[in-house]
Amino acid sequence: MREMTIGQFFPGTSFVHRLDPRTKLLIMLAYIVLVFLVKGFVGYGVLAVFLLAACLSAKVKIGYLLKTIKPIIVIVFITFVLNLFFTEGETPWLSLGPVKIYPEGVRFAVMMALRLIFLLMGTSLLTLTTSPMALTDALERLLKPLNKLHFPVHELSMMMTIALRFIPTLMEETDKIMKAQAARGADFDTGNLIDKAKAMLPLLVPLFVSAFRRADDLALAMEARCYHGGDRRTRMKELHYAKIDGIAAALTLLATLGIVAERIFL
Amino acid sequence: MPVEVRNLSHIYDAGGPFAFRALEDVSFRIADGEFVAVIGHTGSGKSTLVQHLNGLSKPTSGTVFVGNLNLSDKNTSLKEVRKKVGLVFQYPEYQLFEETVKADIGFGPKNLGLDAEEINDRVREAMELTELDYAELAEKSPFELSGGQKRRVAIAGVLAMEPDILILDEPAAGLDPAGRDNILSLIKKWHESGKTIIMVSHSMDDVADLAQHILVMNHGKLEMEGTPEEIFSKGQRLQEIGLGVPAVTALAMRLNALGFALPSNLYRMEDMEQALLHALKGGKHV
Repeated sequence: MREMTIGQFFPGTSFVHRLDPRTKLLIMLAYIVLVFLVKGFVGYGVLAVFLLAACLSAKVKIGYLLKTIKPIIVIVFITFVLNLFFTEGETPWLSLGPVKIYPEGVRFAVMMALRLIFLLMGTSLLTLTTSPMALTDALERLLKPLNKLHFPVHELSMMMTIALRFIPTLMEETDKIMKAQAARGADFDTGNLIDKAKAMLPLLVPLFVSAFRRADDLALAMEARCYHGGDRRTRMKELHYAKIDGIAAALTLLATLGIVAERIFL
Repeated sequence: MPVEVRNLSHIYDAGGPFAFRALEDVSFRIADGEFVAVIGHTGSGKSTLVQHLNGLSKPTSGTVFVGNLNLSDKNTSLKEVRKKVGLVFQYPEYQLFEETVKADIGFGPKNLGLDAEEINDRVREAMELTELDYAELAEKSPFELSGGQKRRVAIAGVLAMEPDILILDEPAAGLDPAGRDNILSLIKKWHESGKTIIMVSHSMDDVADLAQHILVMNHGKLEMEGTPEEIFSKGQRLQEIGLGVPAVTALAMRLNALGFALPSNLYRMEDMEQALLHALKGGKHV
């Protein structure tokens, strides 16, 4: 459980840390679009430089960023294998009976695997350098225009804030209940899949009970402090764009131009 | 079954960005049938310490022996250890999950691989030990019970594994005074019936009446160890590290400051009564 790296936040004061969370969210959006626009290895080169620069200026160790891929390594592998075998081309490189591997397949499989890896590393960099609070704040501000369409922007971001806030709490709770049940001889690790699923019951029931209890308590506490939703609510931290946001936006634009150029000219 | 801890250290997330040293070079010995109290303020390492005694946490360095079982050895059967050392966590009622009280208490024995009849016997016995009425409660859902009852069901779940050593982490936390007295008197009974009891607490008053042997934890280190007389006679040091002294000891300290000459190792109400009567009748008061 302590090994979890997805969604963890490392506080800091680097260039990337100081960017307005709205800027970072928008850059992330652009980055995701770019990952899907990339056509070949030149494009990935541009993205790699962009990601590396962001990583270095955020003072996040590259090894740490690479470690965030660990939880999805199986998915990456499956994607790679499926694309390898099921992409058809003209002349096969290898053919073992009905199974044929084409050079196009290899190329496509590598591209798809890279796409997943780049997506995860980019989003991890965002959560590593931006607190969940700042992220939901940014989301609320960016979606504010939707308020006019009676879309509950504030409520949505409040729900996200609460959900994110309780992830570590619930992980801690899971750890505690697991230990308590292990002290009663529960075994979570051995046996076949059905045994393992059954063994989860003594963990899940108390976890749900406590999650509902916490939710009730939180709702009461919020009501006791007169929480009444988003109307005319002021905030403690106002968000302001600064010069560094402009610099980051310009750099993103540069990467975008690079990838658009790749798409057009290569 | 004696417990022996030698040079135990534990570091959470060793080598990681959030490495934290929870225990540092802790050594002590607990004799068979002793009533031991582990005291310390929040974060002093007392909970981490007791989790080492039944193999839930692994030492970063050092050894833990329970009887002749070496808990640092990878080949030691954890099942064997957990049969001998029962650990009741803080707020154990939060771990209840079964549909009936009976099934929940039977969870531990079932994991030990006992047959249905034996499990049933143990459940009855454990409910008797925790003063829960079998006829009335066995088929009820544990979630329908009162707070004190839930706690006793959870403790019964550990007792049903019939451990020789019972560890309780803050067993009275969050209970009303009646519930607290009830739990503490039950623990006293189990000790008298021959179990080794290790109780983690930050309440000096809970500890004063019951413990024979006290371990005082401070910042992951064993700060003091000894009998209650020895420990509570160092009232000043206890207060320095953020721990109180039992109400009786505190009273004696204040009276002495006013000119009484009471012994410094008072911690029981009866002894206090005697000492006070003696001091007042003997006219030692100046």
